[in-house]
Formats: sequence, structure tokens, C-alpha cells
Amino acid sequence: MRNYAHLELQPAPGLNVFVGANAQGKSNLLEAISLLGTGKSFRTNRERDLIRDGFELATISGEAHVKAGAIRLGCTLTATPRGSRKLYTVNGRSVRYATFLGSLRVVSFVPADLHLVDGPPSVRRSFLNSALAQEQKSYYRELARYQKALSQKTALLRAEAAPDPELLKIYDETLVTSGTALMIARNHFVRALGAAASKVHARWSDGREHLELTYRPNVQFEAETEDSIAGSFEERLRAGAEMERLRRVALVGPHRDDLALDLDGRSLAAFGSQGQQRTAVLAVKVGEYAVMHERSGEAPLLLLDDVLSELDPQRARAFLEGVGEFEQAFITATQLPGALSLASVYEIRDARVIPGPS
Amino acid sequence: MPSSGSIAGPVQALINELSKLPTIGPKTAARLVFYLLNRPRNEAQSLAEAILAVKDRVRLCSNCFSITEEDPCPICTDERRDATIICVVAEAKDIFALERTGAYKGRYHVLGGLISPMDGIGPAQLRVKELVDRVGRENPHEIILATNPNAEGEATAVYLSRLLTPLASAVTRLAYGLPIGGDLDYADEVTLAKAIEGRRTL
Ligand SMILES: [Zn+2]
Repeated sequence: MRNYAHLELQPAPGLNVFVGANAQGKSNLLEAISLLGTGKSFRTNRERDLIRDGFELATISGEAHVKAGAIRLGCTLTATPRGSRKLYTVNGRSVRYATFLGSLRVVSFVPADLHLVDGPPSVRRSFLNSALAQEQKSYYRELARYQKALSQKTALLRAEAAPDPELLKIYDETLVTSGTALMIARNHFVRALGAAASKVHARWSDGREHLELTYRPNVQFEAETEDSIAGSFEERLRAGAEMERLRRVALVGPHRDDLALDLDGRSLAAFGSQGQQRTAVLAVKVGEYAVMHERSGEAPLLLLDDVLSELDPQRARAFLEGVGEFEQAFITATQLPGALSLASVYEIRDARVIPGPS
Repeated sequence: MPSSGSIAGPVQALINELSKLPTIGPKTAARLVFYLLNRPRNEAQSLAEAILAVKDRVRLCSNCFSITEEDPCPICTDERRDATIICVVAEAKDIFALERTGAYKGRYHVLGGLISPMDGIGPAQLRVKELVDRVGRENPHEIILATNPNAEGEATAVYLSRLLTPLASAVTRLAYGLPIGGDLDYADEVTLAKAIEGRRTL
């Protein structure tokens, strides 16, 4: 895949650090590992780019040792005239994506995550989506249903000034049922995530600063029950129907949710220094790892793509200590980060992996 | 893959034509062409004639919009079939799948697709008005909505059920033991027969 014609790797337990200059294939290696966990690339939506130029397919397979025992996971991408097609296998048996997802849990931290605080809401939504989709198969299913209905509704609003009200109603009904499930899952997750993130954050700041995460649903609700949320959602859709028709866009629902990050009661995006924003991002990622660990009862793989080099040594060390009991981590860096001890180091040069300190 | 300049023109031309067909890529197309090259002429001729006959002799039934040689089609004119049940399908190929089961003895209505605004298909692009007219005319006891159990199939079924419920005594949906997102024409006969028997009222 990508620049690798073929590669086999038997990583060590604990920290595996891949050091190399840019464009030698470090991130590609991490991307391959993450594909085995999430079934998706953490970098691109054009998955065809994962296939090495001049080839028709890319195959990634790996053996993982999880609570349930050893499992073999495989993901094959085939080039098609319209893009690419993916086939997933678990223990050699071909499975659907929904079955594959979550077999191996992965928490990845990539440079784009550094914009969790100062980026647009879509960055925070996709963070929530990828964490939750891995964690709960039902979340992935509801998200797929929601997004499909949303695309159909949007197309309907765009196509006609007077869209068929009966048809709009059908898509709105799906938005309400699936959207309610998404909102409940997000609400729970943000609460757990916020508790874990603010705990590690308090430790880092010696209790001087307080980090708070708040779920900001587009549809506000009174009580956290299915009925109450669905009721508020329907009401908002009714009230906003005229505006949606005029502006020809779907304005109501969790596709417009956000996540607020506050430090000592003030918005980090508006008032935080760059250093404070960055520390908050690290706390959120540590929190994600902790919640995933706790909910699944096993330590997820930790993938850090080129982020340690973006952090000063003190923050890098604080992050790794914050994550604490990870069992296996894969880290790429242009230089060996000073913060790492007890690591297995590999050098990556020209798509070859050379074990040993560089 | 050899480039187009390296093989005889007619061979490349046929490869190009076959590659346009669904599920057939350039490799499969080349394999088919070289297979045909090795077969006697009359075999190639009957294939060519069969292809043309499909275009020249097959048309749509003016009643159910299935494909047929005579209009109305043999299913619409078969007196032994139950004219009081109409099974609504997306495409004519779904009729073939349902007929293979032998479990259904009523008649059909082909919509010509499924509602999907993303693809520019609304009720007006399908034979929905024709269905409503036909229901008004024939006054059936039951309308079975046999669209695929995927997002578009479900949306289309819900849309039609709301439209037709005031007009027919029963509107039912296939009880799918079919995998979600599965296709009618991929389902095996037993599963499909069970789906017909276990249909539920909407
Ligand atoms: Zn007919």
C-alpha cells in the first residue's frame, strides 16, 4: 500500500518508534495499522490513494492479541473505475464493515487533531464520530442511516423550491430516530470524556486550571430520554421547516452539533493561549484513550503520527505519562523524541524498515 | 493489459464494447473476446442475434411495465393468476427473482427505480402515477411492496404505503429475512419465498 510494495513487521510490546525523514513512509505504516482497527484511513477520504501507483490492489493483514484471544484481521482495497472497494476479513472469513469495526480498538493522534480546539465544529464532530463508531457498532449504523437520509433531504431541498412534503417527512422521520440515538451516545460519551480529560488536565496544571467539556447539541433537550429528545427534535424540525425550504439546506439536527471546551469557565477557542489550547487537546486525547480503555475493558492500540515532534518535550512526556497503561503504541517522528524511554526504535528509509536505534 | 495499438482493431473494438457492461472489466472482456474467437461462427451469430432481439422485440407491458414480447405481458393476461394482488417492484429483474420462488400467484407493477433525490429520482420519475391509476381502476385487495430492504427501498415503500393505504384494503411489505442492504435478486429462493409468505401489513 502507498509506497510499500511489501512489508512484514513484528512489532514489540510497549513503545514502537519509527524514525525517518519526511516522505519515507512513516505515516503510511501507521495508516495501515489504523486501517486494521477502524477500517478507514485517518488521513484521506480518497482511499484509492492508498493503493500504490501502478497497482490494482492493496492488502493489509495483521494478527492482534485482544481479550478474546488472537484474531487475524485483513483489509483489501481494490481499484475500481469509480474509486475503490474494500473487503474486510476476520480470521480469514469475509465480513461486513460493521462486523469488522471494533475488532481491534485504536486511538490515533494525528496533527489534524491539534485543531480540536481552534478548528471548525466539523473537526470536533468527526472526532466524536470516529471514537464512537469504533466503540459501538450501533453508533456506526445509526450514523450511516442518518447521513444517508440527510443527503437525500438536502438533495430534495436543493432540487425543488416546493419539495414533496410527504417525502421530506419520510427523511425527517429517519433523521429523528437515528439522530436521537446519535445524540444520546454523544451526550454519554462527552460526559465520560470530559471527566477523564479534566482529571488528567488538573494533574498537569497542579489543580490550578479547570478544563471542562460540554456537549452542545444543535437540538437542545430537556431530559436525556429518547422520547424527550425525539420530541424536541420534531418540534425544531417543524419550526425550522419554512427556513429550510427557503435556504434550501437542512438546518436542524446533530450534523450541526458541537463540543465546547472551556478553561476556568471561558471558551478556550476564544480566550486560550496556543499553549493552553494544545494542553487541552492532549487532555482530550488522553481522555479518549481512558474512556475507550474503560468501556472495552482492554487497552487500545495507541497511534501517534508525527505529533510528538509538534510538542515540546515536556508536553510530550506529560502526554505519554497521562496515557499511562497503554500496552502497545506506535509512534512516528522525524527525530527520536527525547521523552521516550524503553522504546523499540526502527528507522524508516525509502519504504524500508530497519530495526535498531538510528 | 496490451495497449490498443497492439491487437487487431475488431478485437479491441469488441473488448471496448463488452467493458461497458456492468460487472465486466477490461480483463474479463478480453477473456470473453478470446473465447469467442475460438468458437464456431454460428455460435457468435446466435449471440449477436439474441442481443439484437432483446432490443427489437422486447418492450414494456402497458399495464405492469414489465418487459415483454407481447403487450400486455403473459403475467397480466394469465387468467389463473390472482388479479386482486399487485406486487410492486423496483425493476423488471425483481420479477424474475420472485417468479423463481413459485410462491407468488398475483400480478406485478414495475416502478422503474427507487426514490432517491440524490440521484435525481423523485416519485414523478417513477411509475407512481400509473400505479395509483391502476389501483383506482382495478381495485385490488392487496398491494405488496417488494422493494429492496435498503435505505432507498424503505423510503420508497413508506412513501407508497402512505399514498396507497387510503385506496386499497391492505398494503403489505415483504417480511425480510433478507440481509439489510441486500438485493432482491441476490436472495435465494427459500428466503424470498418466506418473505412473501410472512409479509406484514403496514
Ligand atoms: Zn404486464
